[in-house]
Formats: sequence, structure tokens, C-alpha cells
Amino acid sequence: MLNHSYLLKDLDILKQHLAKFYSMVQIEKDANGEERWTDQSDPDTVGLFGHKHLPSTSPKGFLFAEKEALYKFDGETFESITPQVVPKVLFGVQACDLTAIAYQDKFFKQDPYYQKRRENILLVGIDCESPCTNGFCAEVKAGPHVNDNTADLVVSRLTVNGSNQLAEWLVIAETEKGQNSIKGLPLDKAHKAHFILRNRLLDKMRSEFADYSYINNAIEYLNDNAVPQHLWEEMSVRCLSCSGCTNLCPTCSCYSTYEIAEKQPDNVISETKAVKTETLRVWDSCLFEGFQREASGHNPAQQAAQRVERFWFHKFSDEYLTEFQRYGCVGCGRCEQTCPGTIGVHSVMKRINQECCS
Amino acid sequence: MLQLTPQTIRIVNIYDDGTNAKHFTFEPKGFVHDKPIGIGQFFMLTLPGAGLAPFTYTSLPDENGRFNALIRKVGRLTENLFSLKEGDVLGYNGPLGNGWPVEQFEDKKVLIVAGGCGLAPVATTIDYLINNNRGESVTLLYGARDLGSQVLTKERARWQTKITLCETLEEGADNAHSGLPTQHLLQTIKEYGGLPSIVLTCGPEVMMKAVAKTCIDSGLQSSDVWMSVERRMRCGVGLCGHCYVANSYACKQGPAYRYDDYLSLNNKMVSTQQHQGAFQYC
Repeated sequence: MLNHSYLLKDLDILKQHLAKFYSMVQIEKDANGEERWTDQSDPDTVGLFGHKHLPSTSPKGFLFAEKEALYKFDGETFESITPQVVPKVLFGVQACDLTAIAYQDKFFKQDPYYQKRRENILLVGIDCESPCTNGFCAEVKAGPHVNDNTADLVVSRLTVNGSNQLAEWLVIAETEKGQNSIKGLPLDKAHKAHFILRNRLLDKMRSEFADYSYINNAIEYLNDNAVPQHLWEEMSVRCLSCSGCTNLCPTCSCYSTYEIAEKQPDNVISETKAVKTETLRVWDSCLFEGFQREASGHNPAQQAAQRVERFWFHKFSDEYLTEFQRYGCVGCGRCEQTCPGTIGVHSVMKRINQECCS
Repeated sequence: MLQLTPQTIRIVNIYDDGTNAKHFTFEPKGFVHDKPIGIGQFFMLTLPGAGLAPFTYTSLPDENGRFNALIRKVGRLTENLFSLKEGDVLGYNGPLGNGWPVEQFEDKKVLIVAGGCGLAPVATTIDYLINNNRGESVTLLYGARDLGSQVLTKERARWQTKITLCETLEEGADNAHSGLPTQHLLQTIKEYGGLPSIVLTCGPEVMMKAVAKTCIDSGLQSSDVWMSVERRMRCGVGLCGHCYVANSYACKQGPAYRYDDYLSLNNKMVSTQQHQGAFQYC
């Protein structure tokens, strides 16, 4: 890693360099003051770098599109619709969101639409410098520093409170793609001392997290099947099926499909006789009452308690470890922030911990 | 890479086969089946403008690649499908999922319990066993709501002389055949040669669970019972997430599950263990 590590005085130099080859995607405030991942960002706009700001949205949609056309029908045959992509750089992605992308890379390994977008994206990760409001990445091994092999480039600020005179930023090229992306930039090589400093900052930051031990306690209870039915029922009463958690969750991947048809001539009555149609997919949510409901009316997840339990099972069950080598939750805490019924991750895990401890 | 875009099939034959049910014959258009289709596997149909959904093969492709499906009109998509005519084209993705454990049939005595449209996913199994001169080892217990609701009329007529066929109706049958198939299960086992070695069941999930329980109570192992579950699907290849059974997807690990596997999946979630759905034929 040392061989591919560099020093940088000003992050803007790197950003302007990458902007020559990639369309810039970074965190900006929208008109309502919400911090969001923003496409086609002007590289002269100062991004709200992730080390201070966990944006309310994750960059999930740049890989697994919120809505996209899959294929079209011309009346006789079906034809794939390949996503139109341009090379993009996601500049300043936090460790939690990078871990989520690595998770989705596995889930969508065989999905041609996801992969088409993915191969055109350069990931520039950024080490966080302080815990964010609801984040518990350290508890689920997703951060706070960027995990190995989750980004093409990692930038890490080395001067904190003026404690370092060596350089402002450490830049690590983790992949060949990352290495190629900084070709032509005159950068000094980093030394072992810079990595030691990076680690020291990581240790310091780890100690600044609140005590989130209830999360891992609750994970154990969940996997022991020790959470009583009545608790799922009590919590599920608070679920409004708004899909806030699943939309904001950077690892949620469920989708539904729907069809759009070209307007038909008046003399054709049947919907199915449409001359041209497109099949699209759109993010779906396992918390919706009808997510599993079949045409017959049979619904294997009829009870809200089943759906709420399912969501947390998918995030924290050991059963997924073989496939993904980690839990589905990356500790970003967005579900806690958004859930109007206060059954986001902290609330749920605290209640499970309290209930099962007593 | 997975292929989500369907291939084109053409409807070559349609006939009525039970109340609100039709039997379709499809023919590939511009492609040949490049993978062998296992009995109990399924395919996704895309109805342009209406959507996509999973259906089962009631016959495997013939020399022209033609295959059949029994479909009941239960929703918007099937309503649209029923408005189509011979010659109309649709989208097809298949074969998908894991079917019945044919390799385990060997010389075993097979009991098949089907409810409603649940007869469709076992049809290829019955034909397979008959074609392999194993018809004598097969007992089919088939339950339906009433006479009109029974499906696969031609097939049942063909099977009648080759396997042991018992039919029950919720309404309109004599005492010996009235009620749910589960009510006749023990009697059927007793009358037709005792405990089977392997049980396949397909129908309402509550029915399948009851069938499994009765068989296990009678002395079978839970690993001797297989069921084919129905789930809503939007892809058929393990991506859309709709067809979950705990940490498995019915489109990949299923739709045919060995009962002990199905149980241990369901037991992973407290609320699912508690919840018993209603008995409802499709």
C-alpha cells in the first residue's frame, strides 16, 4: 500500500484533476438545506466532504438506479435497454457507504444494469474524523476509516488540530483504476510515518464513539431467536410502511417492476395489444403490506410484525455471513434519523436489548 | 451476467380447463431451449403492458420446443393474459429455480397431494413417473373447491388408469370424497398400500404444512416430504427480493423445498412461526 500512497496539500487539486476525466458527484446542500449526493456537480462547488457530513441520502442510486428501464417490446420482440453511462467520480464517500457498495457489488454481481454503472464509477473514499450523530460504523466493522478494498482512492486528512506538520492529506490508491486516475498529478510519496499518524487518528476517533454495545447484544438476541413475538408486534404498530428506511438504507436492494405503454389507437381495447411497451424497475420495500401478497390474496407476510422482523433479519442475521462476509447493516444510522415511528436501528436494538436482558 | 430481458414465445393453443382456468401452449419464437428443463421448475412470463409473473410448466418442451402451462385468472396480469389469442406473443424467461428431487424417486412409493391449481406443478412429475413405468407406485390425492374448479381435466383422464387417483371436493361430493384433501390423507394412505416413501405436495401453504404434519405424525421423516411454495416474483433470478423465505429466495433455492429445510427457514423468524394463514385454494 505504501508504494501507492501520496501526499497532497489541497484536496481541491485532486478534485480538479479528476474532474477532467470524470463527471463529478459530491455532497451538496439542496434548496431545502438537505445534504445530498448530487450528480453533475460543478467541480468548483465546494463539496461537503464526508468526514464531517453524512448526507441524508447514500450514493446507492448511482449504481442501483431508483428507477430504470430494463427492456422494451416493439410488438414482436424484446430488446434490452442498456443504461447510458458516463464515467463518474463519487468524491468523498464515507466508510459506511463504501462498505455498502462493496456489499451491493456482491449482491448485484450478475446484474448487467448495476455492473454497467459500476464499471464506470471511480470511488474516492474519505476517512471520517469524528462520529456522526447516529453512526455506529465501528460497532459493525464498516468504519470509521475506509475499509480496505472498498474504494479506488482513499483520502485521509492528517492535520487535525494542527498536530501534524507533514502534509494535509494522505492519498492511497487501492486499485489500478485509482492509480491510473491520479497519473500526471505531481505528488510526493507518503511514508510509514503518515500511516502511523492515520492509525493514531483512527484510535482517537474510535474512543469518541458513544457506547453502542447494545447493538451487538441485540444482534446476538436476534440470532438466538430470543426476541419475543409481542415485541415485534409492539414495534410493528409503529411502522407506517413509508419505506423511508429501505430507501435510505445503502444496502437495501429490493425492487418491483412496472410497465409503460405507448398510447394505443382508440380502436384497440386490450392493454396487452400495446404496440410498444417498456418494462422498468423501481425501488420497492419489504415493509409495504403488499410486498409479498400474491394475486390470489394469499400474503405470506400479512402481519406487520412479520415484515418488521424480516427487515431486521435481513440486516443482522448470521445466515447472510457466508454470502456477504458481513452483516447487511453498515451502521450509518439513517433509518433512525428518518423513521417517523421511531423504530430505526437504535430504537429497535435498544428495545431488544432491554427486553431480552431483563 | 443474468439475462432479465425475455425471449419471445407465441401462443399456439388455448383451451378452457376449469373455472376461470385455461390451458396454454407456447412455442419459442426465434430461439431454442438451450437448457434442459427440470420437472417442477418454473418460468417468468412478461405480458407487455401488464407485467411479469411466475408460472409452472405442465408439460416439458416437445420436439418443437412447445410447452404448456395451466393458468387461473386471479388478477390483473392473468386477466390480460386471458384476453390474448392464438398467435399473440409474450416474453419468456426460463427455466428457473429448483424443481422436484427426481433423482430421489428411484423405486420409491410416491404420494402426491395437490390442492387447486397446485396440481399444475406436479403434472410433469406424474407424467415422468408414468413414462418411466412407475405409475403403479404413484398415488395422487387431489383436492379442489368444487367440480368446476378442478383443473387438468385431460391429464387426469389420462392418469386415471395409470396411477391411483383420489379426488376430494369441498362442495358437491359424496361423503367419501367431501372436504379438504388433508381430511382424507390418512384414509388414502391406509387404503392405497400404506405409508409412502416420499411425499410431494403443492397447494395452499397451510394445506402443505398440514399434509407434512400428518405424514410426519404417521411415521415419515420431515426430509421425506417436499413442497413447492408459491411466492410473488418480479425477476425469478434472485434479485427483486419479493419471494423470500427467511434467507432463501423461492426463485433460487425453491420453489420446491424439502420440508425440514422449509421448517428450519421459517423457524428463523418468530413472527412467521406464529402466523398461520387461511386455507384458500388458488
